[in-house]
Amino acid sequence: MSTAVEASLARFLDSPGVTGVALVDAVTGLTYGVAGDTAEAGDGQESSEFAALVAERLGRAGAEGELESVVTTSVRRHQVLLAVGRPAGDPLLLTAGLDRDRANLALAARSMGDLAGEVLA
Amino acid sequence: MKASVARNLPALLLELREEGFSGTVRVSGTPGGTIHLRDGLVGAAETPGAPTATSTLLTSGRIGDEAWLAACAAQPDPDLLGEHLVADGLVGGAELEVICTAAVFDAAFAMSLGAPGGWELSDREPALRARPGVEPRRLTDETTRRISLLSRLWGPPGELARVRPVPGTGVVEGPLSGRHEDILNQVNGRRTARDIAFALGRGLYAVMLDLVRMETLGLLRWETPTVPDGRPSTAPRVPPGRTTAAGPPPVPSRTEPLPRRKPRGGEKGG
Repeated sequence: MSTAVEASLARFLDSPGVTGVALVDAVTGLTYGVAGDTAEAGDGQESSEFAALVAERLGRAGAEGELESVVTTSVRRHQVLLAVGRPAGDPLLLTAGLDRDRANLALAARSMGDLAGEVLA
Repeated sequence: MKASVARNLPALLLELREEGFSGTVRVSGTPGGTIHLRDGLVGAAETPGAPTATSTLLTSGRIGDEAWLAACAAQPDPDLLGEHLVADGLVGGAELEVICTAAVFDAAFAMSLGAPGGWELSDREPALRARPGVEPRRLTDETTRRISLLSRLWGPPGELARVRPVPGTGVVEGPLSGRHEDILNQVNGRRTARDIAFALGRGLYAVMLDLVRMETLGLLRWETPTVPDGRPSTAPRVPPGRTTAAGPPPVPSRTEPLPRRKPRGGEKGG
């Protein structure tokens, strides 16, 4: 039985090259739902810790404002962490794995950013 | 429903999952709580140790009090209230699921911090819950992970739940996040992590993680208890500015005997 979160995440798989996507609690690392390949979406705990570390280091370096995204690129994949806007409550993260051969990172990032605003609807 | 021989609560929940049990598990102990199951999946859990989904929605201001009361009047059945909230546009379907799921995991964590008690099974009771619910195995694994992580970062989570942090004296490097600022506004040496979680409408575990991180950053510190047995202080309170004129309060001499009450020799009144 698909949950409301999984149904919402399934839309991200329409973007070219997106192989797996998850909605993760940025504080606790709890994964609320996954669509596509779970391993490609990444581990929620590790993703939340990594995003928190990046945000903290950027803050120390003088960056202002909340972290929006982190993109890590390897030979075959992009791993994208995207902050999800929320009316109230602890911050959330979208974590997505992208196939480099099939994904245009700029287009995928834009598409994910647009969808991220509706993921909690 | 057959009699359970489970040795503990996680084993009971796994057993009830296999049976496809729909009903309520009342857990005694401190803090104890109530677990709502549907087809063996955990849809909701309520405990005095952590905010519920309802508390989170209302305290965070996600749904206003008036809108909430109107929704409850229109749909009095808590089992169907979630659908009504989504249909009325008060909260998104996925967002409500996130809130309800987070509350289940947080309640399980809070219940694991106390002394284990017994349990009893009863019929299903309506509740605002995650759909379809959380697998008991996943709930147990996540609770174990949380306990393990906090133990590694700080120490026994049960003790962390009881400490009352005070603002730190460290200098903040970089901007303070809104989340940490909200916690600092609550920290006053009297509130525990649970108190702060309820005040902010956030999860207990999330608040405890933030407290540990903030202590590392010097934003707060753990107040050393001045009374080892936890007894509240009964020392006389002296308003500021009044100590110089009157001087310090007299200190009774230990050698001086206490005044004794003189009996009246059987004298009867009236």
